Amino acid sequence: MTMADRIPAPAAQPRADAPETARLGFRLTLPAQILVLFISVFPLLMQLYISLTDWSPLAGVSWPHAWEYWNSFANYTDILGDGRLWSALWRTALVIMVCVPVEFLLGLALATLFVDDFPGKRVAYSVLIMPMMVVPAVAGYMFFMLFQSGGPVNDILSWFTPEPVTLAWLSDPTLALVAVMAADIWQWTPLMFLILLAGLVGVPDDQLKAAALLGASPWARFRTIVIPRMKTIIVIALSIRVIEAFKIFDTLYIMTGGGPGVATETISVYIYKITTQDLIWGYVAAIALFILIALSVAAVWAMKRMAK
Amino acid sequence: MNRSPVFEVFRYAAILIALAITLVPILWMVSMAFKPVAEWQATGAALTWVPRTPTLDNFRFLFGQSGSDLIVALDRTAGKPILSSLLSASVGTLIAMSAGTAAAYGLSRFGSGANLPLALIQLRLFPPMAVMIPVMIMWAFLGLMDTWWGLALIYGIVTLPFAFWLMKTFFDDMPKEIEEAALVEGCSRWRVFTRVTLPMMAAPLAAAALFVFILNWSDYLIALLLTTREWVTIPVYMASLSSSMTGQLYGAKAALGLIAAVPPVILGVMIQKHLVRGLTFGALKQ
Repeated sequence: MTMADRIPAPAAQPRADAPETARLGFRLTLPAQILVLFISVFPLLMQLYISLTDWSPLAGVSWPHAWEYWNSFANYTDILGDGRLWSALWRTALVIMVCVPVEFLLGLALATLFVDDFPGKRVAYSVLIMPMMVVPAVAGYMFFMLFQSGGPVNDILSWFTPEPVTLAWLSDPTLALVAVMAADIWQWTPLMFLILLAGLVGVPDDQLKAAALLGASPWARFRTIVIPRMKTIIVIALSIRVIEAFKIFDTLYIMTGGGPGVATETISVYIYKITTQDLIWGYVAAIALFILIALSVAAVWAMKRMAK
Repeated sequence: MNRSPVFEVFRYAAILIALAITLVPILWMVSMAFKPVAEWQATGAALTWVPRTPTLDNFRFLFGQSGSDLIVALDRTAGKPILSSLLSASVGTLIAMSAGTAAAYGLSRFGSGANLPLALIQLRLFPPMAVMIPVMIMWAFLGLMDTWWGLALIYGIVTLPFAFWLMKTFFDDMPKEIEEAALVEGCSRWRVFTRVTLPMMAAPLAAAALFVFILNWSDYLIALLLTTREWVTIPVYMASLSSSMTGQLYGAKAALGLIAAVPPVILGVMIQKHLVRGLTFGALKQ
C-alpha cells in the first residue's frame, strides 16, 4: 500500500481526481490493449509480407528471409483464377443462405410457443437450448454416426417407407451438403430461439391485448406490433449467425472432411487444407488477407445500411 | 391470454417434436457410449436404440484398460487430452476474464480505451482460420507450439471480446451510488474497484467466466493447428481414435464425446439466464 492510499483523499469532486482516474483507466485497459495489438498489428504485417512471396515452411529459410522468394503480386492474381477458392466461397454463401433463414424461422416459431406459461415450460426450455452447448466437434461426430448408411437417420426414414432406406448420406455430394446443413441447423436453431424469445417476452402485453380487443387478427398483431419492436433483436440475431456461419468448420470437417471430393468444402476448410497439406503459406496469407479485407468492407457496408 | 384447446394441442405437439429432434442425436451418442463392440455397427433389423448388453468397456478402453473385445490398444490414453483441455480452457478463461474485466471497468467508469469495443468486435468478425499462419509462426518462435499454455494464451485472446462486452454491460448496469459512497469515505479508486465493486459483482463475474470457459472448451480448429502430440485437446484426440487398421472406434469415440459434452451442458444450464446477454455481446438482456 502506498502513502497516497492511506491519506484520505479530499471529498470526491469529479474533477479533483481526474489525473488519478485517467492513469488508473489507462492501466486497467492496458492488458486488453496489449493482447489486441499482439494478435492484430504484428500478425497482419507479417501476413502482408509473406503474402508477397512464395515462401513455405519447407523453404529452408525462416520467414524473415521470405523476400528471397519474392513474387510481387502473383499470389493476388492467382486468387482471381482459383476456381476451388471461388466455389468454396460460393458453398459457404449457400450454407449461410439456407441455414440462417431456416434457423431463424424455426427459432421464431418455437419462441412464439414459449411466450405464455405452460406446465413443463422450464424443463422443455432447458432441453431445447442444449444443442448449442454441445462441443461443435462432438456434435459433428454425433451427426457423423447418425448419417451412416446403416445408421439411425435411415432407420427412422425406413419407418415411413416400404423399403428400408439405405442412403449413403456422407459419400453423396448433394446429400453430404444436406447432412452438414442439418447438423448446423440442429446446433444453432436454439441460439435463435433463445435470442428471439428474449425479444418476444419484452413486447408489452397491454398493446397486444388492446389490439386484440380492437379486432386485429393474430397475424396483424404480429406484423404491426411484434415485428417492429423486435427489429433490433432480429438484426442482432441474424448478424451473429451470419458471422458465425461464415466461419463454419468444426462440425463439417469432422463429418465429411470437406468431401466427398470438395463437395462440402467451405472457405475455412479450404484454407485449412492448403495450410496443412499443400503448405503454400505465401498463397494462404494472400487468401487470408483477401478474406479479411472483403469481410471488413462487407461489415462497414452492412453497418452503414443498418444505421439508416 | 386465453387460447383455444386446438392451439394447446398444437403447441404441445410442436414442442414434443422439437424435443425429440433435439434429443435423438444426444441420446444416440449416449447409447453408443455404452454399447459393446458387437453392437457398434449393427444395421438394419439388428440396429439397436438401447444397448442390449450395456457395458463400461468403452470408458475403460479410453483410460488404458484393455481386456475388452477391442483388439487394439491405445498408445495414449484419454487422460492427458482431458487434462490439456481443462488446463488450456481454464487458464484461457483466467486470461480473458482478467484483461476483459479490468478493461471493461476502465471504459465503463473512466472512459479509457474507447477503441476497444470496436476492435474486439472486429476480432470476433474474422474467421480464426484467416489469421492462423502468423499465429503458427509466432507460436513456433515463442516455443508455444504443442503446449497447453500456448493454447491458453490464444484462447484468452479469442474469448476476450466476450469477457469484455459481458463485463462492460454488467458494470454499466451497476448502480454507482455505492462506489461514490466509498469514494467519499476516502477510498482510492483502485480500492473501490477491488474491495467494493468486484465483490459486489461476484455472481455476474462467475457467470461470465463460465460462459467464456464453455467457449474455450468448445474449440477444435485452433487446437488442431497449434497442438500436434503432447498436449492435444479432447476433440483433436477424439479425431485420432480411428485409423485404417482399426476403422472407426465408434463406442470409444462416443464415450469420449460424452465426457467432452457433459461439462458445458451442465454449466450452460446453470447460467442460462445470462446466455442471451453473453451471446449477443451484452446487446440484449433477459
